[in-house]
Amino acid sequence: MKQIKLKINGKQYVFLVNDHEMLSNVIREKAGLTGTKIGCEQGSCGACTVMVNKEPVLSCITPALRYDGAEITTIEGVSKNGELDLLQAKFVEKGSIQCGFCTPGMVMTALDFVNKNPNPSIHEIKDAMAGNVCRCTGYKKIIEAVAEYAEERRTGKPKTEIKKPTPKGSVGVPRPYIEATKKVQGIADYADDYNLKDVLHVKFVRGLHAHAKIVSIDTSEALAYEGVRYIAIGKELPITFGVLPLSQDEEAIAIDKTRYVGEIVAAVAADTEEIAAHACKLVKVKYEPIKAFLTIEESLNDIGTAEKIHNTTKFNNNVHKKAELRFGDQQQGLKDAEVKLKMDFEMIGINHGFTEPHATTAFWDENGLTMISATQVTHYLHRALAKTMEVPLSRVRVIKPHIGGGFGGKGDPFAHEIIVAHIARKTGKPVKVRLSREEVFLNNHGRHPTKMTIQLGANKDGMLKVLDAAVAIDGGAYGSFGVVTSYYNGVLLQAPYKLDNFGFVTHRVYTNKPQCGAMRGHGAVNTRFAVESMIDDIAHQIKMDPIEMRMKNFLDPNSLTVGKYRITSNGIKQAISVVAEQADWKNKHGKMPMGHGFGVACGFFISGSALPIIWNELPQSVVHLKLDFDGRVLITSGANDIGQGSDTMLAIIVSEVLGISMDRTFVIAADTLITPVDLGSYSSRVTFMAGNAAKDAAENLRKEMVEAISKKKNINAEELHFSENRIFSNDKSLDITWEDGVEMLVANRGAVSVSGKYISPKLGGDFKGAGAGLSPSYSFSSCVAEVKVDTETGHVKILNVWGAHDCGKALNPLAVEGQLEGSWHMGIGQVMTEEMQYYNGLLVNNNFLDYKIPTSLDTPPIHTNIIETIDPEGPFGAKETGEGAIHAMLPAVANAVYDAVGIRITKLPIKSEDVLRLLKEKEKLNQPEKVS
Amino acid sequence: MITERTYLKPANVKQAIDMAIANSSSFRFLAGGTDVLVNKFQGNELSDCLIDITEIAELKKVEASKTYVKIGALVRLDDLKKDKTLANHFPALIAVAHEVASPMLRKTATIGGNVLCENRCSFYNQSEWWREAVGYCLKCEGVLCIATGGKKSCFSKFVSDTAPVLISMGAMLELADVDGVKEVALESIYTGDGIAPRNLSKTALIQNIILPMANEWKSAFRKLRPREAVDFTSLTTAVSIDKSGNVRIVVGGVDPKPVLITGTTKDDKNELIKQAVKKARIVDNDVYSRGYRKEMITVFLNQCFDELLK
Repeated sequence: MKQIKLKINGKQYVFLVNDHEMLSNVIREKAGLTGTKIGCEQGSCGACTVMVNKEPVLSCITPALRYDGAEITTIEGVSKNGELDLLQAKFVEKGSIQCGFCTPGMVMTALDFVNKNPNPSIHEIKDAMAGNVCRCTGYKKIIEAVAEYAEERRTGKPKTEIKKPTPKGSVGVPRPYIEATKKVQGIADYADDYNLKDVLHVKFVRGLHAHAKIVSIDTSEALAYEGVRYIAIGKELPITFGVLPLSQDEEAIAIDKTRYVGEIVAAVAADTEEIAAHACKLVKVKYEPIKAFLTIEESLNDIGTAEKIHNTTKFNNNVHKKAELRFGDQQQGLKDAEVKLKMDFEMIGINHGFTEPHATTAFWDENGLTMISATQVTHYLHRALAKTMEVPLSRVRVIKPHIGGGFGGKGDPFAHEIIVAHIARKTGKPVKVRLSREEVFLNNHGRHPTKMTIQLGANKDGMLKVLDAAVAIDGGAYGSFGVVTSYYNGVLLQAPYKLDNFGFVTHRVYTNKPQCGAMRGHGAVNTRFAVESMIDDIAHQIKMDPIEMRMKNFLDPNSLTVGKYRITSNGIKQAISVVAEQADWKNKHGKMPMGHGFGVACGFFISGSALPIIWNELPQSVVHLKLDFDGRVLITSGANDIGQGSDTMLAIIVSEVLGISMDRTFVIAADTLITPVDLGSYSSRVTFMAGNAAKDAAENLRKEMVEAISKKKNINAEELHFSENRIFSNDKSLDITWEDGVEMLVANRGAVSVSGKYISPKLGGDFKGAGAGLSPSYSFSSCVAEVKVDTETGHVKILNVWGAHDCGKALNPLAVEGQLEGSWHMGIGQVMTEEMQYYNGLLVNNNFLDYKIPTSLDTPPIHTNIIETIDPEGPFGAKETGEGAIHAMLPAVANAVYDAVGIRITKLPIKSEDVLRLLKEKEKLNQPEKVS
Repeated sequence: MITERTYLKPANVKQAIDMAIANSSSFRFLAGGTDVLVNKFQGNELSDCLIDITEIAELKKVEASKTYVKIGALVRLDDLKKDKTLANHFPALIAVAHEVASPMLRKTATIGGNVLCENRCSFYNQSEWWREAVGYCLKCEGVLCIATGGKKSCFSKFVSDTAPVLISMGAMLELADVDGVKEVALESIYTGDGIAPRNLSKTALIQNIILPMANEWKSAFRKLRPREAVDFTSLTTAVSIDKSGNVRIVVGGVDPKPVLITGTTKDDKNELIKQAVKKARIVDNDVYSRGYRKEMITVFLNQCFDELLK
């Protein structure tokens, strides 16, 4: 240990540090400046960037002792006297902040860069930001912010005025998130930023075998190690859990056997993380490895005398779920179709790659259990904790802090959450865990690896006749959302095209790998890729423009799909038309030189699942409003803002209905004690469902005010209007401020609380499985991609992407653009570079260096279009925008590769070596023709 | 017990070597540390004593004369471009330095550290737990190479991007050690053994990297990686031709050491390339397959030649 002096943000500190302690640890844990984030522990993500002696440094890989006596600026020191720095203001204004976890590092990097290069080109900005990973924004708005910052800093002239909400109303006005200024200053607290008094730290002993019986666990030596407070093993937590009632198959700590390499077999709680980690090495576990099942094929087949992964599966194999639905007659359809195509596709597993690793703190007191956790689903976590801790629901409180992205990856109750709750109870102390990036990858719950055989038939006039999909998905060791995923792989293919003969069968298998679950575009991304690729192929075969062919087949608004989905608003035709026009499709597709191509594709997604996961008669979302003498409307909602902007959305809706400015609202969200139930952030449901609940609540509050004012002033209720913080009658005989109105409402009554709710209408057919994919509304999207393919190396480079998404109504266009650009960026990752590679069940690329999320340099210009169709049931016409857009991006790129070089991609990501091999095979096939 | 660790900051080279001798049982020199520290977190670097040399001012200079340019080992990759001699005479070095890692890492990582960058392998650059689960490979005292299944040789990849370009331009190292200062050819420090990829004495420090001016090397390089930033190399090729027509081909990322082939412009270019391909001992320990990387050696080297001879 050594003593060092650091001047951080102008304040002098003296610290006692370990000789090999990193600077990030000193800044976060000792100075308490938690704006500096830890995302990867290897300098690959940039979230930990701080300035040391005016030079940017990655503090997570910088020894603290290197900089004894240094002056350090962290994100907290960038704004001065409560005024944001111009760059911070630009980040806020341009919508560069979503989850905000990468923001501190981005800001520090960009400040230094522009200081040294005051007049940068866009390429130079991208180059400079390439070491800072953002998973939410697709970098577009970050680059815009840096570019404008540089220009304004240089010229002294504001390029754009900061957009203020227009006086009349809040809906449709582009605006930053309400918490953006907090995030940009590094003062928004994420789960790992909570450090409770006397907290214990947990580390896990993780299994070494893909499938192994646990013979014995000896914790004695570890327990004797000084500073160790508790060691939990599996049999202490015998109650299984899972997000779906159908798949309660997971143990918090493996009891009798491990089902994947890395499964938790013991949890050590100690005074420090370092002690806990050291003690983990002292826990002795004996295993008896048994046959592991690592591939889809192995798990589909009869396994003979080997032991199944779960003994609950029906047959002597590891099939977890078979989902099948059929409409019309696929066999006849295939017979009748003039052009038929049968193709196999293979997609590898994908991880969410959110920048904030999981972290959780739990404690017990007279109120039972309180947990602060990085979760998208406070409600389901609440239920899972009550179940596994065996306490009534009334003894559990789950609080969601700011969340550094989720994309589905924080959408289940997790083992680590249950374990810290348990140890907190056993020790009587607060207990905290934060996962390393490697552990985040082990936790996974990402997109399922998928193999599929699809048959598609059409007539020569381009009309689709039949679609039949046989899909197998690799679920990993546990169920997660897998039953839903199994259905979504099939059912979500029944739109956006009319299909009379449509069927699918999906088998989800258990394998001895980390479990898969829901990820942005849940279940439908991989099969969508296949179908859109095949439509492109058929269009080529029948010599029809692929856009023209799609246009012929689109479902109309206000129609039913073959599986009885009710399509209401539908902007698919507008979406494809816009991207076609912007990309100059008519003059480009099929007309570029060898190696240069354009591709198109479409997508479709649910706007919230019409059926809840846990069947009960609770509304899917409830929002409470409280209004007191101060005139501020307190909005409480269980909806989880994970960076997608749902808190802001709630405030927009309430302020719109009540005609008040946004600063007269205040949002408290996702605290299960204080906020009413919302099912959480999954299935792209929050804007539609929580938004409708907020609208309902605001309308109820307005009704109360109208009644109070009309009674007091003797004016007809119908004559009262709410706008611009005033309440007035038609003839303006009454024209009072909002605050005056509030006074009338609370007089002789006090604070008023009202509630609003959303319950999905009854939808769909009455056959088994009819509920899968049912949604009160659906989103539609289209993308065009432009690529260049290097025929010497097989390397594919995306030059441009154009995207359009029908979100019904953009309540906050800036947020909608951000969601779309993030979706398309994530799609680019899956189609180009991302993959979870396993070796004997061990994930090989379990870090941000080897798991290849596209950097700013790998992200092409993204051209964003919002299509508005005003959904009849969405709040102010809005529907989902967080997930659906991703679907079209992947096949658009692959179809562009086909246009460029004539090879059909059936396996993702698009690897240069596969492209080169396919080019050679194509050349070989073509040669005899040339000779003849 | 958790071992007591130490961290030392010598002010000059002599002090650094003295500290190294004093802690000879378990120490490691630390320059930028961007790789060493990550290896340390993963349990691949276990030294109890870190000797941080970043405050040694004498190693941070670039000095040019008529016959050579000396680049201090601690010159950061991002700072190379600031030196006019390097920019004018060795643009390929500046360009290849820009292709290393990410902008943030280049502000800390040094040229000396880059040429000494530890060899990498998909099965080695993993956490301690991971390596135990996979069964410890040869490079971490196991008995089997996971990549090849062999028991004898480790084929961890040589991944420095600057070294291939430097070697192709005939770079020398000025090494300081207990017994004084000496100059050696950069390529001579690489052993080709993936477990112990360098033959430097433990206490040796690179003081300077010396590039000759007289040859007037013209260089071209290519780097294979999935992304345009951050990634370590899967294949780096460098070709340099001097004013006398000497040709030096160096290939990195495909063998435990940089593969060097020398010739002249009178030689058959394709033959030289063939030699390079033949010499590279590529195994499947990378995100790209062995076969593809092998194929790309030829493609990339041809591209380098085309660039130089156009």
